[in-house]
Amino acid sequence: MKPPFYMRYVIIALVCGILGVGIVVQMIRINYSPSARELIAKSQNYQGVEETVYPPRGTIYDRNGHVLATNQIAYEVGIDLKFITDPESIAFSAASLLDLNYADVFSLASTVKQEQDENRYYVLSSYVSEDKIAELQALKESYTERRLEQRTTTPSLSGLVWTPMEQRTYPEDDLASNVLGFYNYFSRETAQGVYGVEEAYNRLLTGKPENIFMPNDPYLVEALPEVDAGASLVLTIDREIQAMVEKALADAIDWSGAEGGTIIVSDPRTGEILAMASTPAFDPNKYWTYEETFPGPTPYNRAVGDAYEPGSVFKVITMAAALDAGVVEPSTTYNDAYGVYWVENTWPIYNWDGGAWGEQDMLGCMQHSLNVCLAHVAVDLLGEDLFYQYVQAFGFGRSTGIDLAGEANYPLRLPDNNQWVILDLATNSFGQGIAVTPIQMVMAVSAVANEGRMMAPHVVRSVVDNGQQYDVAPQVVSNPISAETAETLTDMLTVALEEEASGALVEGYSLAGKTGTGEIPTELGYTSTQTNTSFVGWGPSDDPQFVVYVWLEKPSISKWGSEVAAPVFQNVVEQLVVLMKIPPDNIRLALSAK
Amino acid sequence: MKNRLLQAYKQAPWRLQLQWIGLFLLALVLVAAVTGVYLSISAQAAGAGRNIQSLEYQIEETNNQISDLTTNLAKAQSAEKMMAKAEEMGFHLLDPASAVYIEVPGFDPNAELVLAPPRVNILNEVPIIQSSYKSSLWDWFVKNIWQLPDSASEGGN
Repeated sequence: MKPPFYMRYVIIALVCGILGVGIVVQMIRINYSPSARELIAKSQNYQGVEETVYPPRGTIYDRNGHVLATNQIAYEVGIDLKFITDPESIAFSAASLLDLNYADVFSLASTVKQEQDENRYYVLSSYVSEDKIAELQALKESYTERRLEQRTTTPSLSGLVWTPMEQRTYPEDDLASNVLGFYNYFSRETAQGVYGVEEAYNRLLTGKPENIFMPNDPYLVEALPEVDAGASLVLTIDREIQAMVEKALADAIDWSGAEGGTIIVSDPRTGEILAMASTPAFDPNKYWTYEETFPGPTPYNRAVGDAYEPGSVFKVITMAAALDAGVVEPSTTYNDAYGVYWVENTWPIYNWDGGAWGEQDMLGCMQHSLNVCLAHVAVDLLGEDLFYQYVQAFGFGRSTGIDLAGEANYPLRLPDNNQWVILDLATNSFGQGIAVTPIQMVMAVSAVANEGRMMAPHVVRSVVDNGQQYDVAPQVVSNPISAETAETLTDMLTVALEEEASGALVEGYSLAGKTGTGEIPTELGYTSTQTNTSFVGWGPSDDPQFVVYVWLEKPSISKWGSEVAAPVFQNVVEQLVVLMKIPPDNIRLALSAK
Repeated sequence: MKNRLLQAYKQAPWRLQLQWIGLFLLALVLVAAVTGVYLSISAQAAGAGRNIQSLEYQIEETNNQISDLTTNLAKAQSAEKMMAKAEEMGFHLLDPASAVYIEVPGFDPNAELVLAPPRVNILNEVPIIQSSYKSSLWDWFVKNIWQLPDSASEGGN
């Protein structure tokens, strides 16, 4: 017998069952419908953000820990179309505060809004300063207050967003810019160091960017993985010396009317570059003005990127070779009877003044910078094999390998080259017909100042990476001459400077050095009256602690190195000894005698 | 008789109902407890997630502030500004002729700048997190309970 209301229970059960099955079927249908797939795809956009995290670029310090390059925060301003309610206000604020085109921003903010499925965020401006952002923030807040007062939906900057981003900054502005290079940070994806240490150490400074997924779901959130910052660099550059040298160079160019110039100060014992100034001055904070500052082929750093005929400073190399090879001694004489030296009875070589200086020993040849004497030494005593052997041993004809980008190198014309003639040997001996960079000259002369050991020039002293400091050890490139030769030549050039009463002398300090006046070749030969004036010197003579190289290009006040470059050398060294805390010789010797 | 005996062992209907209700309530309490624990843990996890997000933002903001302050300090201490400040305070560049030199024992003008400890051999370093903190409950169980008889027997030998 069936219980009462049996059919009613059955009907209710059936209805509930059918409803339940219907719900399950509908759930399955919805789950596998095209709309569901679309919805799931849309939801992916809200699950989180995949971002490339760029580690902070390494800081660059001078040798005493002063910051030369670092990062500061700027902002990227964009519009998020999901939240835009008032395109007019956004366009107005962007035009008035960010100098953007009103119509462009307005059309971007209003027309694309209809297609917000595809594009939701647009960048309006990058590297906006904190001041501008503060103004935008204040405007946004004032609009909010106005809306609350007027109970309206406009004006509103809703949808205008800004996110912080790092901007490379050089706190010293144009100081040492030729050494530092610059970082073209405007596009983060393609940003890289250009010139100087920024380019040479780009990979180390940049670090390794990482792609990170940042979920919005709080259950999935984890601490972001640590992204190692780029390595920091400690340079050999001394900020105070660099500032002094740059000022000295700027003053020298004003005074001499030179077209350009460079001054290098290095430590011959280690190869460390203490200062390197080059024209034109450039502020890497405004790197986009590069093409205005360096028109055409103007090198970014003349000290490493410009080869020129050095003139008589190269006689230091010729004399070092002759002394080391034993073909001359300081007392060896040469009779300059006519003021001319005939190369193979074909090509005449004259002295700088066209005069004859009579009998001179090697000291006199260097003191009076006699071309005929040095040509005789190279052609008749050394010969091409020995001469070029020494020239190559001093590093000419190849890069110095300095850790700066953009080093130039002009190949040597050697006797095995078809175009080489014996005249080249004669002219090369006094620095004509051979192109060198200032840094090559500094490296070569450093060997004379450092007991014959030629040190590799470098500008990075330490690398700080992952919390550890790696110090760069000085490296000996070669020993082109003996210590005795180096000492003899230093003594000769010290006496030569003193006897000449050179404008390069500094009271209280013994210095060795040599002037240079290089004629500038044109398409028709050496027809130009313009010259490259230079001076290379080192001191104190008995214990050299610095090498200073001065090059001024095409001065108008005088064409002679002794009149233009030598006084600049003196000016630099006078201040350098104070900054390097080198006492005058008498005090230094008395202190060391203790 | 047989029926009577069976009936003697049968629970009273109200007792059966009470047992079912008790069991149902027990299950309900268990489900509620598990749900409560689940909700509590979930809420804590969500809170922790939000805290992590908030801390990440704070870290980023602090790093940004450090960058800005470092830059501002470097700008304030730039060679040009320090020179101007020194001149303002009445200092002037030293005249080499008037310089007085004294010997300072231990002073090395070429001393290297130390920004970080020197390079060390990291292979010899002891791991910061001990392995016991990284093992799962199962690892611990296998290591300390499962293998106990073996080690005990080894000890016995």
